[in-house]
Amino acid sequence: MPRSIDPPRDLWPQIEAQLGAAGAAAPRRRTAPLRWLAAAAMVGALAVGVWIGRDLMPLPGAAAEVAQQPPANPAGANPGGAAVNAAFVSDPRYARQRAELMGSVQAQLNAMPAPARAKVAASLSAIEAAKKDLESALGKDPSNALLQELLINTYQDEMRVLTDVHEAGNAGRGI
Amino acid sequence: MRTVTTLAVLALALAAGTLARAGDSKTFDREVSAEPHGVVEISNTAGEVQVSGWDRSDVSIHASLDDDVDRVEVTSSPGRTVIKVILPAHSWHGGEAHLRVQVPKDSELRVSTVSADTNITGVTGIQRLNAVSGNVTTDIAGADLELKTVSGDIKVKGRGLPAQLRITSVSGDVHLQNGGGSLEANTVSGTLVASLEGAKSVVARTTSGDMHLDAKLTRGASFEATTVSGDLEVRASADGGYAYEVSTFSGDITDCFGGQQAQKGYVGHSLSGSRGDGAGRMRLKTMSGDVQLCDRT
Repeated sequence: MPRSIDPPRDLWPQIEAQLGAAGAAAPRRRTAPLRWLAAAAMVGALAVGVWIGRDLMPLPGAAAEVAQQPPANPAGANPGGAAVNAAFVSDPRYARQRAELMGSVQAQLNAMPAPARAKVAASLSAIEAAKKDLESALGKDPSNALLQELLINTYQDEMRVLTDVHEAGNAGRGI
Repeated sequence: MRTVTTLAVLALALAAGTLARAGDSKTFDREVSAEPHGVVEISNTAGEVQVSGWDRSDVSIHASLDDDVDRVEVTSSPGRTVIKVILPAHSWHGGEAHLRVQVPKDSELRVSTVSADTNITGVTGIQRLNAVSGNVTTDIAGADLELKTVSGDIKVKGRGLPAQLRITSVSGDVHLQNGGGSLEANTVSGTLVASLEGAKSVVARTTSGDMHLDAKLTRGASFEATTVSGDLEVRASADGGYAYEVSTFSGDITDCFGGQQAQKGYVGHSLSGSRGDGAGRMRLKTMSGDVQLCDRT
Protein backbone atom coordinates (compact mmCIF):
# COMPACT_ATOMS: atom_id res chain seq x y z
CA MET A 1 0.00 0.00 0.00
CA PRO A 2 1.52 3.38 -0.94
CA ARG A 3 2.34 5.65 2.03
CA SER A 4 0.87 8.61 0.27
CA ILE A 5 -1.27 9.49 -2.69
CA ASP A 6 -0.47 12.65 -4.58
CA PRO A 7 -3.50 14.77 -5.38
CA PRO A 8 -4.31 15.17 -9.02
CA ARG A 9 -3.64 18.92 -8.68
CA ASP A 10 -1.98 21.36 -6.28
CA LEU A 11 -4.61 22.09 -3.59
CA TRP A 12 -2.57 24.56 -1.53
CA PRO A 13 -3.53 27.73 -3.40
CA GLN A 14 -7.24 27.01 -2.85
CA ILE A 15 -6.70 26.19 0.83
CA GLU A 16 -4.62 29.31 1.27
CA ALA A 17 -7.34 31.40 -0.36
CA GLN A 18 -10.02 29.99 1.90
CA LEU A 19 -7.92 30.55 5.00
CA GLY A 20 -7.30 34.10 3.86
CA ALA A 21 -11.03 34.70 3.39
CA ALA A 22 -11.82 33.27 6.81
CA GLY A 23 -9.09 35.36 8.36
CA ALA A 24 -10.46 38.49 6.72
CA ALA A 25 -13.98 37.76 7.97
CA ALA A 26 -12.95 36.96 11.53
CA PRO A 27 -12.11 40.53 12.61
CA ARG A 28 -15.52 41.73 11.45
CA ARG A 29 -17.18 39.19 13.70
CA ARG A 30 -15.04 40.29 16.59
CA THR A 31 -15.97 43.96 16.16
CA ALA A 32 -19.73 43.34 16.52
CA PRO A 33 -19.68 42.50 20.27
CA LEU A 34 -17.40 45.45 20.86
CA ARG A 35 -19.91 47.76 19.26
CA TRP A 36 -22.71 46.38 21.39
CA LEU A 37 -20.57 46.71 24.48
CA ALA A 38 -19.82 50.31 23.60
CA ALA A 39 -23.50 51.05 23.00
CA ALA A 40 -24.47 49.37 26.27
CA ALA A 41 -21.82 51.37 28.09
CA MET A 42 -23.20 54.57 26.57
CA VAL A 43 -26.75 53.70 27.60
CA GLY A 44 -25.53 52.80 31.05
CA ALA A 45 -23.63 56.05 31.37
CA LEU A 46 -26.69 57.94 30.15
CA ALA A 47 -28.92 56.20 32.69
CA VAL A 48 -26.51 56.98 35.49
CA GLY A 49 -26.34 60.57 34.29
CA VAL A 50 -30.13 60.85 34.21
CA TRP A 51 -30.34 59.33 37.68
CA ILE A 52 -27.72 61.69 39.05
CA GLY A 53 -29.44 64.60 37.34
CA ARG A 54 -32.80 63.64 38.74
CA ASP A 55 -31.73 63.03 42.27
CA LEU A 56 -28.88 65.35 42.85
CA MET A 57 -28.98 68.28 40.49
CA PRO A 58 -32.12 70.40 40.56
CA LEU A 59 -32.31 72.69 37.58
CA PRO A 60 -31.93 76.45 37.84
CA GLY A 61 -34.96 77.98 39.47
CA ALA A 62 -35.60 74.97 41.61
CA ALA A 63 -34.14 76.63 44.68
CA ALA A 64 -36.43 79.60 44.31
CA GLU A 65 -39.30 77.24 43.76
CA VAL A 66 -38.47 75.33 46.90
CA ALA A 67 -38.28 78.56 48.84
CA GLN A 68 -41.77 79.39 47.66
CA GLN A 69 -43.15 76.09 48.78
CA PRO A 70 -44.99 75.75 52.04
CA PRO A 71 -43.31 73.93 54.88
CA ALA A 72 -44.16 70.59 53.38
CA ASN A 73 -43.42 68.62 56.47
CA PRO A 74 -43.31 70.61 59.65
CA ALA A 75 -41.89 67.65 61.52
CA GLY A 76 -38.86 67.77 59.26
CA ALA A 77 -39.25 64.15 58.33
CA ASN A 78 -38.60 64.97 54.72
CA PRO A 79 -35.56 67.22 54.76
CA GLY A 80 -34.97 68.58 51.32
CA GLY A 81 -37.93 66.63 50.06
CA ALA A 82 -39.31 69.76 48.49
CA ALA A 83 -36.18 69.90 46.37
CA VAL A 84 -37.41 67.00 44.34
CA ASN A 85 -39.14 68.55 41.39
CA ALA A 86 -40.17 67.74 37.92
CA ALA A 87 -37.74 70.08 36.24
CA PHE A 88 -35.83 67.17 34.80
CA VAL A 89 -38.82 66.13 32.80
CA SER A 90 -37.75 66.97 29.33
CA ASP A 91 -41.02 68.38 28.03
CA PRO A 92 -40.65 72.15 28.31
CA ARG A 93 -44.41 72.68 28.30
CA TYR A 94 -44.72 70.47 31.36
CA ALA A 95 -41.88 72.26 33.10
CA ARG A 96 -43.33 75.67 32.26
CA GLN A 97 -46.84 74.80 33.37
CA ARG A 98 -45.61 73.26 36.58
CA ALA A 99 -43.43 76.27 37.35
CA GLU A 100 -46.40 78.59 36.81
CA LEU A 101 -48.59 76.53 39.09
CA MET A 102 -45.93 76.31 41.77
CA GLY A 103 -45.61 80.07 41.61
CA SER A 104 -49.26 80.60 42.37
CA VAL A 105 -49.79 77.79 44.86
CA GLN A 106 -48.02 79.53 47.71
CA ALA A 107 -50.34 82.52 47.43
CA GLN A 108 -53.37 80.25 47.36
CA LEU A 109 -52.12 78.33 50.38
CA ASN A 110 -51.54 81.52 52.32
CA ALA A 111 -55.11 82.55 51.69
CA MET A 112 -56.51 79.29 53.03
CA PRO A 113 -57.64 78.76 56.61
CA ALA A 114 -54.77 77.37 58.69
CA PRO A 115 -56.16 73.83 59.16
CA ALA A 116 -56.82 73.47 55.44
CA ARG A 117 -53.39 74.88 54.65
CA ALA A 118 -51.77 72.29 56.93
CA LYS A 119 -53.72 69.45 55.35
CA VAL A 120 -52.88 70.50 51.81
CA ALA A 121 -49.22 71.04 52.73
CA ALA A 122 -49.18 67.52 54.14
CA SER A 123 -50.59 66.21 50.88
CA LEU A 124 -48.01 68.05 48.82
CA SER A 125 -45.41 66.61 51.14
CA ALA A 126 -46.86 63.12 50.59
CA ILE A 127 -46.54 63.59 46.85
CA GLU A 128 -42.95 64.74 47.17
CA ALA A 129 -42.15 61.77 49.38
CA ALA A 130 -43.87 59.41 46.96
CA LYS A 131 -41.89 60.78 44.03
CA LYS A 132 -38.67 60.48 45.94
CA ASP A 133 -39.41 56.92 47.08
CA LEU A 134 -40.41 55.85 43.59
CA GLU A 135 -37.33 57.40 42.03
CA SER A 136 -35.18 55.74 44.63
CA ALA A 137 -36.83 52.38 43.98
CA LEU A 138 -36.46 52.87 40.24
CA GLY A 139 -32.78 53.50 40.85
CA LYS A 140 -32.60 49.94 42.15
CA ASP A 141 -34.85 48.45 39.51
CA PRO A 142 -34.98 50.82 36.51
CA SER A 143 -37.07 48.59 34.29
CA ASN A 144 -39.80 47.89 36.85
CA ALA A 145 -43.05 48.59 35.02
CA LEU A 146 -45.05 48.90 38.25
CA LEU A 147 -42.78 51.61 39.58
CA GLN A 148 -42.74 53.44 36.26
CA GLU A 149 -46.52 53.44 36.17
CA LEU A 150 -46.79 54.62 39.77
CA LEU A 151 -44.28 57.41 39.13
CA ILE A 152 -46.26 58.63 36.13
CA ASN A 153 -49.44 58.47 38.21
CA THR A 154 -47.75 60.52 40.90
CA TYR A 155 -46.65 63.19 38.45
CA GLN A 156 -50.19 63.37 37.13
CA ASP A 157 -51.55 63.59 40.66
CA GLU A 158 -49.15 66.39 41.48
CA MET A 159 -50.34 68.40 38.49
CA ARG A 160 -53.94 67.76 39.43
CA VAL A 161 -53.33 68.88 42.98
CA LEU A 162 -51.47 72.01 41.89
CA THR A 163 -54.24 72.81 39.44
CA ASP A 164 -56.96 72.22 42.02
CA VAL A 165 -55.23 74.38 44.62
CA HIS A 166 -54.62 77.05 42.00
CA GLU A 167 -58.25 77.05 40.95
CA ALA A 168 -59.37 76.99 44.56
CA GLY A 169 -58.18 80.57 44.77
CA ASN A 170 -60.93 81.64 42.43
CA ALA A 171 -63.39 82.08 45.24
CA GLY A 172 -66.96 81.61 44.23
CA ARG A 173 -66.01 80.17 40.89
CA GLY A 174 -65.34 76.73 42.23
CA ILE A 175 -62.38 74.45 41.65
CA MET B 1 -77.55 99.56 97.33
CA ARG B 2 -74.19 98.64 95.84
CA THR B 3 -75.54 95.19 94.94
CA VAL B 4 -78.56 96.67 93.19
CA THR B 5 -76.33 99.03 91.20
CA THR B 6 -74.04 96.18 90.19
CA LEU B 7 -76.97 94.04 89.06
CA ALA B 8 -78.43 96.93 87.09
CA VAL B 9 -75.12 97.50 85.31
CA LEU B 10 -74.84 93.81 84.53
CA ALA B 11 -78.38 93.66 83.16
CA LEU B 12 -77.72 96.71 81.01
CA ALA B 13 -74.50 95.17 79.67
CA LEU B 14 -76.32 91.93 78.91
CA ALA B 15 -79.07 93.71 77.07
CA ALA B 16 -76.57 95.76 75.09
CA GLY B 17 -74.64 92.60 74.21
CA THR B 18 -77.79 90.87 73.04
CA LEU B 19 -78.73 93.85 70.89
CA ALA B 20 -75.25 94.00 69.41
CA ARG B 21 -75.31 90.28 68.64
CA ALA B 22 -78.69 90.62 66.98
CA GLY B 23 -77.28 93.36 64.82
CA ASP B 24 -74.36 91.15 63.69
CA SER B 25 -76.49 89.05 61.38
CA LYS B 26 -79.24 89.56 58.89
CA THR B 27 -81.55 87.25 57.05
CA PHE B 28 -82.56 86.91 53.47
CA ASP B 29 -85.60 85.12 52.05
CA ARG B 30 -86.61 84.69 48.46
CA GLU B 31 -88.58 82.27 46.33
CA VAL B 32 -88.42 82.05 42.56
CA SER B 33 -90.10 79.73 40.11
CA ALA B 34 -87.93 77.14 38.40
CA GLU B 35 -88.14 74.24 35.99
CA PRO B 36 -88.34 70.69 37.33
CA HIS B 37 -85.14 69.65 35.54
CA GLY B 38 -83.44 73.02 35.49
CA VAL B 39 -79.99 73.93 36.71
CA VAL B 40 -79.52 75.44 40.16
CA GLU B 41 -76.16 77.01 40.86
CA ILE B 42 -75.14 78.00 44.38
CA SER B 43 -71.90 79.60 45.49
CA ASN B 44 -70.90 80.55 49.00
CA THR B 45 -67.55 81.23 50.58
CA ALA B 46 -67.88 80.51 54.28
CA GLY B 47 -70.63 79.19 56.52
CA GLU B 48 -72.91 76.47 55.25
CA VAL B 49 -75.02 75.41 52.30
CA GLN B 50 -77.96 73.12 52.95
CA VAL B 51 -79.87 71.96 49.91
CA SER B 52 -82.90 69.72 49.88
CA GLY B 53 -85.05 68.53 47.03
CA TRP B 54 -88.80 68.94 47.00
CA ASP B 55 -91.71 68.26 44.66
CA ARG B 56 -92.43 71.90 43.87
CA SER B 57 -91.14 73.74 40.81
CA ASP B 58 -89.74 76.59 42.85
CA VAL B 59 -86.46 77.46 44.41
CA SER B 60 -86.69 78.77 47.95
CA ILE B 61 -83.78 80.48 49.65
CA HIS B 62 -83.41 81.33 53.29
CA ALA B 63 -80.09 82.82 54.34
CA SER B 64 -78.61 84.00 57.56
CA LEU B 65 -75.76 86.40 56.85
CA ASP B 66 -72.93 87.86 58.84
CA ASP B 67 -72.62 91.61 58.73
CA ASP B 68 -69.53 91.37 56.60
CA VAL B 69 -71.46 89.59 53.86
CA ASP B 70 -72.52 92.08 51.23
CA ARG B 71 -75.65 90.38 49.91
CA VAL B 72 -77.22 87.32 48.34
CA GLU B 73 -77.81 87.66 44.65
CA VAL B 74 -80.47 85.50 43.00
CA THR B 75 -80.92 85.47 39.27
CA SER B 76 -83.49 83.38 37.50
CA SER B 77 -83.74 82.63 33.82
CA PRO B 78 -85.52 79.82 31.99
CA GLY B 79 -83.96 76.56 33.12
CA ARG B 80 -81.40 78.19 35.40
CA THR B 81 -81.38 79.68 38.88
CA VAL B 82 -78.20 81.20 40.24
CA ILE B 83 -77.69 81.96 43.92
CA LYS B 84 -74.53 83.78 44.90
CA VAL B 85 -73.33 85.02 48.24
CA ILE B 86 -71.51 88.25 47.49
CA LEU B 87 -68.71 89.40 49.76
CA PRO B 88 -67.19 92.85 49.78
CA ALA B 89 -64.42 93.25 47.22
CA HIS B 90 -61.02 91.70 48.07
CA SER B 91 -62.53 89.48 50.73
CA TRP B 92 -61.49 85.88 50.11
CA HIS B 93 -62.83 84.10 53.14
CA GLY B 94 -64.70 86.71 55.05
CA GLY B 95 -68.19 86.62 56.43
CA GLU B 96 -70.26 83.55 56.82
CA ALA B 97 -73.55 82.89 55.14
CA HIS B 98 -75.78 80.03 56.14
CA LEU B 99 -77.97 79.10 53.22
CA ARG B 100 -80.97 76.83 53.29
CA VAL B 101 -82.13 76.17 49.75
CA GLN B 102 -84.97 74.01 48.51
CA VAL B 103 -84.91 73.01 44.87
CA PRO B 104 -87.03 70.86 42.54
CA LYS B 105 -85.77 67.35 43.31
CA ASP B 106 -84.76 66.56 39.73
CA SER B 107 -82.69 69.70 39.36
CA GLU B 108 -79.13 69.62 38.18
CA LEU B 109 -77.28 71.01 41.16
CA ARG B 110 -74.00 72.88 41.08
CA VAL B 111 -72.56 74.02 44.38
CA SER B 112 -69.27 75.77 44.84
CA THR B 113 -67.84 76.77 48.23
CA VAL B 114 -64.55 77.71 49.82
CA SER B 115 -64.76 76.83 53.52
CA ALA B 116 -68.51 76.46 53.76
CA ASP B 117 -69.79 72.97 54.47
CA THR B 118 -72.32 71.54 52.05
CA ASN B 119 -75.16 69.21 52.95
CA ILE B 120 -77.49 67.90 50.27
CA THR B 121 -80.51 65.64 50.65
CA GLY B 122 -83.22 64.49 48.32
CA VAL B 123 -81.81 65.83 45.06
CA THR B 124 -82.00 63.17 42.37
CA GLY B 125 -80.54 65.09 39.43
CA ILE B 126 -76.92 65.46 38.40
CA GLN B 127 -74.71 67.01 41.07
CA ARG B 128 -71.50 68.94 40.48
CA LEU B 129 -70.03 69.95 43.80
CA ASN B 130 -66.80 71.80 44.57
CA ALA B 131 -65.29 72.87 47.86
CA VAL B 132 -61.89 73.99 48.99
CA SER B 133 -61.81 73.24 52.70
CA GLY B 134 -65.48 72.76 53.31
CA ASN B 135 -66.85 69.29 53.95
CA VAL B 136 -69.38 67.91 51.51
CA THR B 137 -72.13 65.45 52.41
CA THR B 138 -74.68 64.35 49.87
CA ASP B 139 -76.97 61.54 48.90
CA ILE B 140 -77.41 60.47 45.33
CA ALA B 141 -79.82 58.44 43.28
CA GLY B 142 -79.13 57.28 39.73
CA ALA B 143 -77.72 60.51 38.37
CA ASP B 144 -74.09 61.38 37.84
CA LEU B 145 -71.95 62.98 40.50
CA GLU B 146 -68.83 65.04 40.10
CA LEU B 147 -67.38 66.05 43.44
CA LYS B 148 -64.10 67.78 44.13
CA THR B 149 -62.53 69.13 47.29
CA VAL B 150 -59.07 70.24 48.25
CA SER B 151 -59.00 69.49 51.98
CA GLY B 152 -62.65 69.00 52.74
CA ASP B 153 -63.95 65.57 53.70
CA ILE B 154 -66.49 63.89 51.46
CA LYS B 155 -69.42 61.69 52.40
CA VAL B 156 -71.69 60.30 49.72
CA LYS B 157 -74.58 57.97 50.29
CA GLY B 158 -76.08 56.22 47.28
CA ARG B 159 -78.80 53.76 46.52
CA GLY B 160 -76.70 51.31 44.54
CA LEU B 161 -78.08 52.66 41.27
CA PRO B 162 -75.85 52.89 38.21
CA ALA B 163 -74.31 56.31 37.72
CA GLN B 164 -71.02 57.89 36.85
CA LEU B 165 -69.29 58.97 40.04
CA ARG B 166 -66.17 61.07 39.89
CA ILE B 167 -64.81 61.99 43.30
CA THR B 168 -61.49 63.69 43.85
CA SER B 169 -59.82 65.27 46.84
CA VAL B 170 -56.34 66.31 47.76
CA SER B 171 -56.26 65.70 51.49
CA GLY B 172 -59.86 65.09 52.39
CA ASP B 173 -61.17 61.68 53.38
CA VAL B 174 -63.67 60.11 51.01
CA HIS B 175 -66.52 57.91 52.19
CA LEU B 176 -68.86 56.47 49.61
CA GLN B 177 -71.65 54.24 50.75
CA ASN B 178 -73.75 52.13 48.44
CA GLY B 179 -72.46 53.54 45.17
CA GLY B 180 -73.05 51.92 41.80
CA GLY B 181 -72.12 52.10 38.15
CA SER B 182 -68.74 53.63 37.43
CA LEU B 183 -66.50 55.08 40.09
CA GLU B 184 -63.42 57.16 39.56
CA ALA B 185 -61.99 58.22 42.91
CA ASN B 186 -58.74 59.92 43.67
CA THR B 187 -57.16 61.31 46.81
CA VAL B 188 -53.58 62.07 47.75
CA SER B 189 -53.37 61.64 51.51
CA GLY B 190 -57.00 61.17 52.38
CA THR B 191 -58.46 57.79 53.19
CA LEU B 192 -60.79 56.29 50.62
CA VAL B 193 -63.57 54.07 51.90
CA ALA B 194 -66.19 52.86 49.44
CA SER B 195 -68.90 50.28 49.28
CA LEU B 196 -70.33 49.54 45.86
CA GLU B 197 -73.33 47.62 44.59
CA GLY B 198 -73.38 46.63 40.95
CA ALA B 199 -70.23 48.45 39.93
CA LYS B 200 -69.08 47.92 36.36
CA SER B 201 -65.96 50.05 36.43
CA VAL B 202 -63.81 51.17 39.34
CA VAL B 203 -60.64 53.21 39.10
CA ALA B 204 -59.35 54.32 42.50
CA ARG B 205 -56.05 55.92 43.31
CA THR B 206 -54.34 57.39 46.34
CA THR B 207 -50.79 58.42 47.07
CA SER B 208 -50.39 57.85 50.79
CA GLY B 209 -53.99 57.39 51.81
CA ASP B 210 -55.29 53.96 52.74
CA MET B 211 -58.05 52.42 50.69
CA HIS B 212 -60.85 50.14 51.83
CA LEU B 213 -63.10 48.98 49.04
CA ASP B 214 -66.04 46.66 49.33
CA ALA B 215 -67.55 45.93 45.96
CA LYS B 216 -70.15 43.83 44.28
CA LEU B 217 -69.20 43.91 40.61
CA THR B 218 -71.29 43.29 37.53
CA ARG B 219 -70.30 40.61 35.03
CA GLY B 220 -67.17 41.55 33.12
CA ALA B 221 -66.48 44.53 35.37
CA SER B 222 -63.09 46.13 35.55
CA PHE B 223 -61.57 47.15 38.86
CA GLU B 224 -58.28 48.93 39.31
CA ALA B 225 -56.93 50.32 42.58
CA THR B 226 -53.52 51.88 43.02
CA THR B 227 -51.62 53.45 45.88
CA VAL B 228 -48.03 54.47 46.36
CA SER B 229 -47.63 53.95 50.10
CA GLY B 230 -51.18 53.52 51.29
CA ASP B 231 -52.53 50.12 52.29
CA LEU B 232 -55.11 48.53 50.07
CA GLU B 233 -57.92 46.37 51.41
CA VAL B 234 -60.40 44.99 48.91
CA ARG B 235 -63.37 42.74 49.40
CA ALA B 236 -65.08 41.88 46.17
CA SER B 237 -67.54 39.59 44.52
CA ALA B 238 -68.61 39.56 40.91
CA ASP B 239 -71.18 37.90 38.70
CA GLY B 240 -69.04 35.54 36.65
CA GLY B 241 -66.07 36.06 38.96
CA TYR B 242 -62.94 37.94 38.10
CA ALA B 243 -59.30 37.41 37.27
CA TYR B 244 -56.95 39.30 39.52
CA GLU B 245 -53.41 40.55 39.45
CA VAL B 246 -51.88 42.03 42.57
CA SER B 247 -48.42 43.55 42.58
CA THR B 248 -46.35 45.46 45.09
CA PHE B 249 -42.75 46.55 45.17
CA SER B 250 -42.06 46.33 48.88
CA GLY B 251 -45.40 45.70 50.57
CA ASP B 252 -47.01 42.44 51.61
CA ILE B 253 -49.81 40.64 49.82
CA THR B 254 -52.38 38.50 51.56
CA ASP B 255 -55.60 36.97 50.35
CA CYS B 256 -58.42 35.10 52.02
CA PHE B 257 -58.62 32.43 49.35
CA GLY B 258 -56.22 30.05 51.06
CA GLY B 259 -53.36 28.03 49.74
CA GLN B 260 -51.86 30.67 47.51
CA GLN B 261 -48.55 32.33 48.08
CA ALA B 262 -47.54 35.62 46.62
CA GLN B 263 -44.71 35.06 44.19
CA LYS B 264 -41.53 36.85 44.98
CA GLY B 265 -39.88 38.21 41.89
CA TYR B 266 -36.41 39.64 41.51
CA VAL B 267 -37.86 42.69 43.22
CA GLY B 268 -41.34 42.86 44.71
CA HIS B 269 -44.23 40.47 45.05
CA SER B 270 -47.08 39.54 42.81
CA LEU B 271 -50.15 37.40 43.07
CA SER B 272 -52.51 36.43 40.32
CA GLY B 273 -55.42 34.10 40.05
CA SER B 274 -59.07 33.85 39.30
CA ARG B 275 -62.33 33.71 41.19
CA GLY B 276 -65.33 32.00 39.60
CA ASP B 277 -65.26 32.10 35.81
CA GLY B 278 -62.85 35.00 35.76
CA ALA B 279 -65.19 37.18 33.69
CA GLY B 280 -64.14 40.45 35.27
CA ARG B 281 -60.71 41.91 35.72
CA MET B 282 -59.13 43.24 38.89
CA ARG B 283 -55.73 44.88 39.22
CA LEU B 284 -54.31 46.07 42.52
CA LYS B 285 -50.98 47.87 42.59
CA THR B 286 -48.89 49.58 45.22
CA MET B 287 -45.31 50.49 45.83
CA SER B 288 -44.92 50.01 49.57
CA GLY B 289 -48.44 49.52 50.83
CA ASP B 290 -49.79 46.20 52.01
CA VAL B 291 -52.56 44.58 49.99
CA GLN B 292 -55.32 42.34 51.18
CA LEU B 293 -57.82 40.79 48.79
CA CYS B 294 -60.80 38.83 50.04
CA ASP B 295 -64.19 37.68 48.92
CA ARG B 296 -67.08 39.88 49.80
CA THR B 297 -69.36 38.09 52.16
